[in-house]
Amino acid sequence: MRRILKFNLLLIIVLLVTFTSCKKSFIEINSPTSLVPDVALGTEADLLVALRGAYAGLRGVDFYGRTLPVLGDLMADNAYQSTLNTNRYTFYNNYSNTIGATAADANAAGMWATAYTTILRANNIINSTVPTTVNVSQYKGEAYAIRALCYFALVRHFAKPYAEDPAALGVPIITKYNPDLKPARNKVSEVYTLMIDDLNNAYTLMTKFTNSSQFSKYAAKGLQAKVYQNMGDKTNAKTAALDVINNSGFTALTAAAHAAYWTSITFRTDKVETLFEVSSDAVANLAFDELSYLYSQSGNYGDLLCSDALYALFAAADVRKALYATGTRAGLPSVFVNKYPAISGDPSDTKVLRFSEMYLIAAESSLPTNEVDALTYVNLLTSKRGANPIVSTGTALFEDIITERRKELAFEGDRFHDLQRLKRDIARSANYPAAAQAIPYTVTRRLLPIPQVEIDANPAIKPQQNAGY
Amino acid sequence: MRKFVTFLLCTVLAITQLAAQTRTLKGKVTDAKNNPVANASVVVKGNAAGATTDAAGNFSISVPSTAKTLVITSLNFASQEIAIGNKTSFAVSLVSTALDLQEVVVVGYGTKKKSDLTGSISTIKGSEVENVPFSSVDKALQGKVAGLQSVAASGQPGASQNIVIRGISSINGSSNPLWVIDGIPVNTGDASRLQTTANLLSTLNPNDIESISVLKDAASQSIYGSRAANGVIVVTTKKGKAGKTKFKFDTEMGQSEVAYQNSKYRPLTAQQYIDITREGLLNFPYSQATTDAQLTSLGNGSGVDFSWLDNVTRKGTQQQYNLSAEGGNDKTTFYLSGGQFIQEGTTINSKLTRTNGNIRITNKATDKLTLGFNLNGGVVNQRAPLAGGAFGNPVLSSFFILPTRSAYNTDGTYNFTNLGGLHNTIALTDMDKRYLREISLRGSFNAEYKIFDNLKFKTNYGVDYNSLEEDQYNNPLHGDGAASNGRAFSYYTRYFNWVWTNTLDLQQNITRGGDLSFNAQIGYEAQKSAAYFSSLQAQQFPPTIALTYPASGASPTTASATISEFSFASQFASGAINYKNRYVVSGSFRRDGSSKFSANNKFGNFYSVGATWNVEKEKFMENVRFITQLKLRSSYGVNGSNTAIGNYDSPPLYSFGSNYNQLPGSAPANVGDPNLTWELNKPFNVGIDVSILKNRISFTAEYYNRTSESLLLSVPLSRTSGFASATRNIGTMENKGIEFAINIVPVQTKNLRWDIDFNFANNKNKILTLPGGLDILNGSFILREGVAINTFYLRDWYGVDATNGDPLWYKDNTHNSAATTNIYPGVDARVLAGSAQPKYFGSLTNSITFKGFTVSAQFYYNYGNVVYDSWGSYYLGSGFGATYNKVARQLDRWQKAGDVTDIPKYVYGGNKNFSNSSTFYLNQGDFVRLREFQLGYNLPKSLLAKANISNVNFYVRGTNLFTWVKDKNMPFDPEQGTGSATNLNVFIPKTVTVGLNIAF
Repeated sequence: MRRILKFNLLLIIVLLVTFTSCKKSFIEINSPTSLVPDVALGTEADLLVALRGAYAGLRGVDFYGRTLPVLGDLMADNAYQSTLNTNRYTFYNNYSNTIGATAADANAAGMWATAYTTILRANNIINSTVPTTVNVSQYKGEAYAIRALCYFALVRHFAKPYAEDPAALGVPIITKYNPDLKPARNKVSEVYTLMIDDLNNAYTLMTKFTNSSQFSKYAAKGLQAKVYQNMGDKTNAKTAALDVINNSGFTALTAAAHAAYWTSITFRTDKVETLFEVSSDAVANLAFDELSYLYSQSGNYGDLLCSDALYALFAAADVRKALYATGTRAGLPSVFVNKYPAISGDPSDTKVLRFSEMYLIAAESSLPTNEVDALTYVNLLTSKRGANPIVSTGTALFEDIITERRKELAFEGDRFHDLQRLKRDIARSANYPAAAQAIPYTVTRRLLPIPQVEIDANPAIKPQQNAGY
Repeated sequence: MRKFVTFLLCTVLAITQLAAQTRTLKGKVTDAKNNPVANASVVVKGNAAGATTDAAGNFSISVPSTAKTLVITSLNFASQEIAIGNKTSFAVSLVSTALDLQEVVVVGYGTKKKSDLTGSISTIKGSEVENVPFSSVDKALQGKVAGLQSVAASGQPGASQNIVIRGISSINGSSNPLWVIDGIPVNTGDASRLQTTANLLSTLNPNDIESISVLKDAASQSIYGSRAANGVIVVTTKKGKAGKTKFKFDTEMGQSEVAYQNSKYRPLTAQQYIDITREGLLNFPYSQATTDAQLTSLGNGSGVDFSWLDNVTRKGTQQQYNLSAEGGNDKTTFYLSGGQFIQEGTTINSKLTRTNGNIRITNKATDKLTLGFNLNGGVVNQRAPLAGGAFGNPVLSSFFILPTRSAYNTDGTYNFTNLGGLHNTIALTDMDKRYLREISLRGSFNAEYKIFDNLKFKTNYGVDYNSLEEDQYNNPLHGDGAASNGRAFSYYTRYFNWVWTNTLDLQQNITRGGDLSFNAQIGYEAQKSAAYFSSLQAQQFPPTIALTYPASGASPTTASATISEFSFASQFASGAINYKNRYVVSGSFRRDGSSKFSANNKFGNFYSVGATWNVEKEKFMENVRFITQLKLRSSYGVNGSNTAIGNYDSPPLYSFGSNYNQLPGSAPANVGDPNLTWELNKPFNVGIDVSILKNRISFTAEYYNRTSESLLLSVPLSRTSGFASATRNIGTMENKGIEFAINIVPVQTKNLRWDIDFNFANNKNKILTLPGGLDILNGSFILREGVAINTFYLRDWYGVDATNGDPLWYKDNTHNSAATTNIYPGVDARVLAGSAQPKYFGSLTNSITFKGFTVSAQFYYNYGNVVYDSWGSYYLGSGFGATYNKVARQLDRWQKAGDVTDIPKYVYGGNKNFSNSSTFYLNQGDFVRLREFQLGYNLPKSLLAKANISNVNFYVRGTNLFTWVKDKNMPFDPEQGTGSATNLNVFIPKTVTVGLNIAF
């Protein structure tokens, strides 16, 4: 009996210990690596961390990390896919209606998803209720610029050019987080209005220049110049470009510094040339999916080559010609692109906006009324490249400026959008498949499909698919 | 009466006095079924002198003339005292106290008499999984249990096995059951982070297993609450038996090779590839000049014809050794074992070595207190190649690299050039390293105290520890490491999982005679699983292949460590009322609290009720002699599954790691849901067990219908929200099915026994509700109300246009052959194209024992699913991925008008969108395979007795020796996981082994 008593005491202790050790805190465990949003965005310092997250979003493989700069040249007449390739972006090289991109295309879906993921990151900063300080304003300004940049990418790839129809279907405008929203497409003009507003806000709020991998006041203004240019608003485009040229403190890349500029792998703090670039570093990068991997012949890919037509445009003394090397690939003479030489360690960054383009925008926007200005601005660039000065007039001058854009901004994802906003047919050189050498403006596949996953999940957008998909 | 006793006593006394001083007594000890009991101890009461029985149960003992009583003891039997009298020969029949598997079944938190069972439990004896040439026990379960589907996806030794019990009941969660090993709900599954696979169960030696119980219905499962819905597999490891120490040695050796190959999927030879590529280039059309230039660049004229497939596959060797010892006395028993298992995969760079140890000690401290300790440890070394689309995957290279490119230069060195951007995986096998070292310890300390004869308290503190060291080195010269001048990874993963379980068990007669009795159990369990992950990577290595660890890299690029934890606090109770063993009603209840659940749903209640009617125990059945068992049983209950919830899924979170310029960046990580909770499973089961003609025919049939509710689904969001999906408890699904298992013994004579075992399972899965009733696309699958989960949803392939060789698809989803198109149709043309899950599966086993010989053959069959060839578009895409090699079936392409074939015209770069997913790449998954074949011989006992050896058995065993596949276009092994999609994995092996078992 005593033993039983003794035992029962033991049992009670054992049970007590178990029960008390299992109080409620035992089954409450917080994530060791994540924070709830209120805590994660609680202070000014937190907003800076979140802002970096937004920049990192731009680096996505189907965004500024690779797909955007690739499509801007591959869908145009600058870059073509070698017959010896790793099967990346074949659909965009071949353009045909039978071997064409489908609505399920992973690159298009990736671009859509990455853009809106980044927009969310920016929105959460813009909508933050952390009390305003100089820094908070700066961060919000940068977030506005990031958001505008995302919409700029979306509206130019998924919607008809503003020049064709401002009332055409654009992309859904999201400025507040709401996971359950099933938005329909806004008008192209509404998207452009948002971008202009965002960039005005960015311009007003920002007071600092950190480095070329972050937006600054004048980077936002430069982007706005480009947005106006896409709208065909020459007056505002010129005003904005001149604001950058005259007031930003940035200087243009010179012929002497040209080669070193393109081999440099780090962001710049000297306000030379780069208004904004998306940075990859030695740790956070896309590894084999880096843009440089597709152009460089040193790695396993090197799929994309420079078209003969583009290469032929460079005069012998043009320092830009040095960025292209001739050789053989797949048994055929080829021109290689060396704009992004760093494939390992810290890979080459993606240039998004450069000071030199401001000359080009200012020049183009001066036409047709002010040819003197146009010649002045475009030759501010040619003189810094060892290229022959432009002396033409009238439409020839306009064409020369567009060609100068092609040469200067080649392989930076710009050419296709010029052809879009100018509503031009694409005439591609013999490097491209025979069936894909003439791409008239009317070809529906020049617009990307609204991704199938979006169509499937969003009834409002379902009837708004782009033509041809 | 008293007079008679006195008389007897006097007689006995008189006789003993008359007897000689010592004498020899002989006898045989058997169990209730007349089987000999070996190693039983036979002693004279009050005297140390004793003997033990031999393998045949015989004993011989010299006893003093004064000896009056013999005491015969053996573990798992009640000790028995026998008056010696004047007899010199004894036949002793012992009564079993052990958990005889025929009568007692291991269930959750204890054991139950078979007659008391109300639920559906299938048991597998340890002997059925002993010495099998499989790297883990889950692989050995295929075909053993009706309704348990065990499917491999890869032939890599140590690869995870997919197990599905009674259908898939979760959409986003795993379908793998809960494994409980010696009372510990263990962490299982694939724990790899760097390697392709790391099956935690591969560290458990199947030879250490005593029994496996598969819990299939509510009555048996629900005691495991929120983790029971996928079924529970309760594994009990071996215990020692008292008596003379017994040793057992097992060894096995053999070879493995690819189990299934289809000549239609042989990669092309160099000439074949060049010819078809020329055709494709001209069809494009490229000019003759471009064609010739391109062919030259693809190796035309190089004179090389190298079969990557032949050089990447191989015969693997297979061996294992196991040694065990058991014994002890009536106070303390022990079981010790050790083993080694070595298996090479069927491709290069694929191997597993396991070393095991196991200790179990049980001590009866007092009459009331029993203490126990066991520790089971395993060390696994595994080498596995990359899988899927990785360039370092040898299987990929064997189908992709051109036959015009050799792995070797003419001087015998490795070739690194002109591989079309792919890697020389034969070279990488030497130059790169991919290693996994896995250490697992599963052990517990337990105590059992008998408070009263009918009330006992048990406590068990168990630990389940797994650590994984994953190392990878990519050399700076060639392959994945070249771009970063060499790189090396070291990942360390540790799971420490402890469980403390306390139970009180009560057994009580309600009526005096015991006609009505009940048993009850209450328990409390706390568990915490803590995982620790450390990851590092360095790049920029010296230009050698000798320095393979991150320490030699100049540029550290990954340095990360974190933890992940979950906890459970649970109370549970179960009970059963039994009337004359005829009627049993059972019930169980469990309340689970878990850190995984959201604040609003921290605790969940789960229960079951069950009833059984043992008809054969009824009075009216007494005269029905041919029926030995007739049992009807049924159960219903509610349990849950939390495999679809991550450890920290419920709150909306910002995660860190979206870094920029090597400064910290944060980003929203999930949508979150404050109500997130377990998935519910409501199984109903009804079954009948019949045994007739003295167990010559035994039959079990069951019907079940389980509804799964509150399924956690990734509800697709508009991507414009910034998220692809949100996890919500939404959606219901049902699994209905029948199972039966039949055992027939057509012949049973003294020397010959023939057993036929057949089992069959049919499961019908149906998704009942989805959010908003809308379809959800899940890769190639569709989730649609009224349709089974894992149903392929693809464009409907029509065939090849005989006039021009174009691929043709049905224009819409009506399968109308009048409306076909050569333009890859839109999404509306997708059709339901068959399920990844079989309609039915099971096995047929024949085993014949004749004297010392045994022969057994198990056929496994699987019917009614389809298998998707994920990479088919590359090697069978009519020109897609033109710079990669193609397979022989591509030669059937259309060539000229009028050709009737199913392979379109070959066009360099691809013909239309033939390479896009469609039903063309689906194959019927029906197959039958000779899963196991064994021929064994037991040396005659008479021969062994002299050498003091109790048993010697030789055998030859084959697994997967023969595979019949219905679809002649099945590219790879029909077993491709429960997802039923090929992924260029290490080929599933067939093995032939010879083995030897010795017991002494």
